[in-house]
Amino acid sequence: MAQRLKEVDVVVIGVGMVGSILAKELAAAGYKVVGLERGSTRFTVPEFQSPGIHDELRFDVRKALMQDNTREPVTFRNNTSQTGLPVRRWESFLPGTGLGGSMVHWNGQTFRFQANDFELATRTRERYGKGFLDPDLTIQDWGVTYDELEPHYDRFEYLLGTSGKAGNLKGQIQPGGDPHESPRSRDYPTPPQKEHYSGALFRKAATSLGYHPFPQPSSNLSQPYTNPEGLKMNTCVFCGFCERYACEHYAKSTPQTFILPVLLANSNFELRTGCQVQRINLDSTKKRATGVTYIDNAGREFEQPASLVITSLFAINNIRMLLLSGIGKPYDPGTGKGVVGRNYAYQTMSTVASFFDEDVIINPFMASGASGTMINDYAGDNFDHSGLGFIGGAFIGAVNTNGRPIQYHPTPPGTPAWGKGWKDAVVKHYNHTIMFSLHGSSTSQKQNYADLDPTYKDAWGQPLLRITFDFPKNDLKMAEYVTARGVEIGKAMGAKQVVGSPRKGPYTTQIYQTTHNTGGTVMGNDPSTSVVNRYLQSWDVPNVFVIGASVYPQNASWNPTGTLGALTYWVADALKNKYLKNPGHLVST
Amino acid sequence: MKHLLGTLILLGASAAQSAQGAAPPAEAAACQACHGAHGEGMVDGDKPRLAGQSAFYLDKQLRDFASGARDNAIMSAIAKGLNDQTRAKLAAYYAALPVPAPLEHKAPTAAQAQRGHQLALEGAEAKRVQACNNCHGPDGSGVALSAPALAGQLAPYLAAQLKSWQQGSRKNDAGNLMSSVANRLDDADIAAVTAYYASLE
Repeated sequence: MAQRLKEVDVVVIGVGMVGSILAKELAAAGYKVVGLERGSTRFTVPEFQSPGIHDELRFDVRKALMQDNTREPVTFRNNTSQTGLPVRRWESFLPGTGLGGSMVHWNGQTFRFQANDFELATRTRERYGKGFLDPDLTIQDWGVTYDELEPHYDRFEYLLGTSGKAGNLKGQIQPGGDPHESPRSRDYPTPPQKEHYSGALFRKAATSLGYHPFPQPSSNLSQPYTNPEGLKMNTCVFCGFCERYACEHYAKSTPQTFILPVLLANSNFELRTGCQVQRINLDSTKKRATGVTYIDNAGREFEQPASLVITSLFAINNIRMLLLSGIGKPYDPGTGKGVVGRNYAYQTMSTVASFFDEDVIINPFMASGASGTMINDYAGDNFDHSGLGFIGGAFIGAVNTNGRPIQYHPTPPGTPAWGKGWKDAVVKHYNHTIMFSLHGSSTSQKQNYADLDPTYKDAWGQPLLRITFDFPKNDLKMAEYVTARGVEIGKAMGAKQVVGSPRKGPYTTQIYQTTHNTGGTVMGNDPSTSVVNRYLQSWDVPNVFVIGASVYPQNASWNPTGTLGALTYWVADALKNKYLKNPGHLVST
Repeated sequence: MKHLLGTLILLGASAAQSAQGAAPPAEAAACQACHGAHGEGMVDGDKPRLAGQSAFYLDKQLRDFASGARDNAIMSAIAKGLNDQTRAKLAAYYAALPVPAPLEHKAPTAAQAQRGHQLALEGAEAKRVQACNNCHGPDGSGVALSAPALAGQLAPYLAAQLKSWQQGSRKNDAGNLMSSVANRLDDADIAAVTAYYASLE
């Protein structure tokens, strides 16, 4: 029998990036907020310090910072004719756990999506005509525009201290920045990180081909920074341990560096760790949430009543929380009806490896998670897709994120997979290879979705989330086309051998690609094709807000974090200025 | 194996030679007055030990004294008089000298030893200061091409440097890292962490 606790104003499920920002905003506005985190507390000191934090076996291979998938995995299948099986070892994507969430182990790439991305369905029809899209695709507009989000992008970048160079200031194109970006109201808070040699070679080659290289915006900071919350951050030292690791230097922007000390000092906020939320509870009308039920690390069950419930989990866990709680109609791929689980999408990642002679020294170990030079000339709708048979694109970048000894050893095709031949090739190429990341968009299509698994359960006896996904044909065509452009840049750099690896199907969970799972609780203006409205408020249960990349109707060509940060502040404003003053539907149904 | 053995013998021989103080470059005479006959530093005042510090680091400091990135009236006058070749020769000479036993120093109090150890190995979350050893290597042993050794360095020198970072008279670090850290330490922290490092072998 659950012990019933004293009612609070707000319960936040998951104290990661979204949860900690929103909790801080609401606690500062005077509301009593409880944050429920299934993992542990952890801080830069002492948890993230050297030399322990540089343990590649522990963090990279064994994924020490990730969701415990002995207790809570997902099941996966490529299509409905298969049986989903539990993913017992994270590889393709890496959901984190613990205070600060997945952002603790992110790389720091901090992008904005372009204005076009938020109105993708409309603008694609306008530019290429009605019949252009594959009929299986279910792309749609977001219900919010870039112009509406711009102030919130700005606020998020200044919270993080992001290092970059503006390319479009209020409509004025800025030399050295990204000319394709949508207008920003001011420059980044800190200048770009230093450029690697690989970035310099990329810049020269891309320029020679008529492209527009610029420094990748990075939240591994280029200089000391004090954010608007009054928190001080340090300069990144290029240690090369970002993705899959926590930062020891207060130099990578994470909730630990940019918000948590302020949140935890506010007596309106209470953090509870080791709390596994089982469900959001609804009243008998099923139109109002009464709070949540959770089980703590001692196995005790509690009911935490609240007037407002915010689910701010990693994308796939947001989907599952709604399904377990009976909020919103589950999607049925047979009929195309229902919304929860619909439009699950991902990111279409390809690579180009450029192998040089031994006199070209790359030093790949001198790296931060997001330092690099890139182009957006083949991202989004920045090029004419007429006659190409696909929409979307990818950024192409020479992005040095790591040269770690266990996991990083580029070798050309034909190299033996083990033994002396492999070792010789690793030694020969380690310091003389440039890897491009081709970071591609992902369309949503009717076959791809998430639901509750009919067979497998978690450690608490609840059904696992089942993901049914394969790459849309559209995205594989896109990967093929953009990778060919990347190979041309590699050749223009003067590499001896250039190897393009466009993403191929079928999708597998066994190879790392990226932790950019999106969709499943998508936002929009039509309740028949979205789970939440433009303020990320549940259409069905208006005192539940769902915030995560799970609200993206499809995924764009860039890393999703910047847009999620902007949406977080967008919702914070809507809550403080609209909803909490007059609780109810913010958009009429 | 034979080749390896030969190398070891050679290394041993050169270390022995340096230990006897054989053949310092003539230009080292100017250094010895303050930094000691064997680069061991001087307890009285803030003249650091040079012996065993990396050649890259020593060479860079001399260049920074000359350019003003590191402010010290005596050293900047001396450094301005050195050409590239002499500077490199001196740096290599001191880098090759064996690390002497720590000079006589004031032992840290128990509280200082504890706080110093904490700052060195773990850092201080309340002040957002990361562990010194993250960059300065295990037990402050230094990381060539990056951060100098702190172990066995003289406490008055280390304290003077932290003050210089705070005051901005020393600004030759990458990314203002040392000024960021130093500005978050108070006098008690500085006394503790410098006494701790001075006490390490």
